[in-house]
Amino acid sequence: MLGRIWAIALNTFREAARIRVLYGIIVLVAGANLLSIVLGQMSLHEQDRVARDIGLAGISLFGSLTAIFLGVFLLYTEVQRRTIHAIVSKPIERWEFVVGKYAGMAIVLTILVGLFAVAMAGMLTWQGVGVSSAVVKAVVLAWFEVLTVASIAIFFSSFSTPFLSGIFALAMWVIGRLAPDLEAATRFAAPWIRVAARVALEIVPDVHLFAVSGRTLDGGAVSVHGDFVPWSYVALAAGHGLGWIIGLLALAALLFHRRDFV
Amino acid sequence: MSASDTVIDVRELRKTYRTPFRRKKVEALRGISFSVQRGHIFGFVGPNGAGKTTTIRTLMGLIRPSGGSATILGHKIPSRAARAKVGFLPESPYFYDYLTIGELLDLAGRLFGLDGAARKKRADELIERVGLGRARTQSLKKFSKGMLQRAGLAQALMNDPEVVVLDEPTSGLDPIGRKEVRDLILELRDNGKTVLFSSHILTDIEAIADQVAIVARGALQLTGTPAELVKRTVLGFDLKVRIAAEAPVDELTAGASRIRRVADELAVTLGADADIDAWLERAHAAGAKVLAVEPRHETLEDLFMRQIAGADTASAATEGRV
Repeated sequence: MLGRIWAIALNTFREAARIRVLYGIIVLVAGANLLSIVLGQMSLHEQDRVARDIGLAGISLFGSLTAIFLGVFLLYTEVQRRTIHAIVSKPIERWEFVVGKYAGMAIVLTILVGLFAVAMAGMLTWQGVGVSSAVVKAVVLAWFEVLTVASIAIFFSSFSTPFLSGIFALAMWVIGRLAPDLEAATRFAAPWIRVAARVALEIVPDVHLFAVSGRTLDGGAVSVHGDFVPWSYVALAAGHGLGWIIGLLALAALLFHRRDFV
Repeated sequence: MSASDTVIDVRELRKTYRTPFRRKKVEALRGISFSVQRGHIFGFVGPNGAGKTTTIRTLMGLIRPSGGSATILGHKIPSRAARAKVGFLPESPYFYDYLTIGELLDLAGRLFGLDGAARKKRADELIERVGLGRARTQSLKKFSKGMLQRAGLAQALMNDPEVVVLDEPTSGLDPIGRKEVRDLILELRDNGKTVLFSSHILTDIEAIADQVAIVARGALQLTGTPAELVKRTVLGFDLKVRIAAEAPVDELTAGASRIRRVADELAVTLGADADIDAWLERAHAAGAKVLAVEPRHETLEDLFMRQIAGADTASAATEGRV
């Protein structure tokens, strides 16, 4: 089983490594980190803060957008191009194929997040502030955010076109990111709006859990520049993300299992 | 014929689709039944939309049947156990075009659970066997249609399968390519494999199939050995003579169903009841030199055309009643 999943993952990695847009994104993130120098110079003694904010935002934003971009094409193109015919006619279960595709994409995204993190760490080191444990935790959280978003995209890709999958996945990511704000904003709204917002928030992954810097948790302010969350929080958030990833992959596999490849 | 000799057993296989918006029912398979015996080459023939590819894709687990059942080597489809023993070449195969032939075979080998050394050895053998040794370093994107078909055959044979299922394996190939594929299928049979293949090209089926099934409109029309299906009775005679280009040939062409005259050669087709001796006498009298006299038997093509016409008539009558 693992051998077959690995075979699909390896092939997916090979395929993704050929997508030139990814190299453009890497250049863009490196550029954003360089931009942090300019912006840092414009701020008053806040160079390291700017570098951390831009670096982490780059990982989260570009990592998640890349996850959506890769994920929405992942299963759809296999069916459209009929490359899947020569694969699922081999002794592989369809769920193994879905998991393999996700694993391959997760490898690509992990390398991207790693490169983004290295670029940010280089920038921080160059500015003489080094990499704090808060930054490491924030990068781990952003990594899980990207992996969760990837599972949302692959779920939609199992039954929808890339365009629609992209819209749905983007909407879920944005709603998930803004969940606490949406909850607060609708607190005094009409009952049906509150119910609609509640339902919407229940069915989207709580990706805001991965972006806690600047928020208030348990009555205390959390900031990557100061007091950040403990490792136990990171583990809990990662577990939450893993739960969503497993659930969405299971649903994607179920939908994929029922499909005819004509 | 014992049950253990039956490698593929298809019983009342049905597939019904619904059109996307109007939800209209489309019956792609209307209860197809047939069986393929061990060591045989089974030719599946039918016009476009007959249900050949749907049947094959259902056997390979790509399509879920709406009814009926099928087994491959005793395993119910769809099942991983069945697919582990089958090699499959899809119709107009599409592969990951960024891979080389070696990488494609490595991927197939991994999915079949072969270890690294076995994958390498088998891939090297197959690349040479299908004549792609010189294209090892090229990506599949640069392969011609014929080369892709060979690559597809190679990946189908990676697991040294007991059963080989080929969907239109000679489609799009030039005459040399077609002969190579036919030879490969015969070689597989000689090595004890069972082959199920579909084709539009009736001469390919007639040349190598031990068993033939004709499908039309999602139903099996006829099945049997080519010798059983094709009547050996004489349908007519093809005659060819050499005669001066300006010589009158009215006496030789009277009553012919087909006449062809090119330069000093005249070819005519006469009916089965024609008096060939009298015709030959007239030809000699006209100064012609007889080049060939061949009795014309029914071919698979004749049978096929008759069956398809019959299926169309039956279907039209049914639709008319409805």
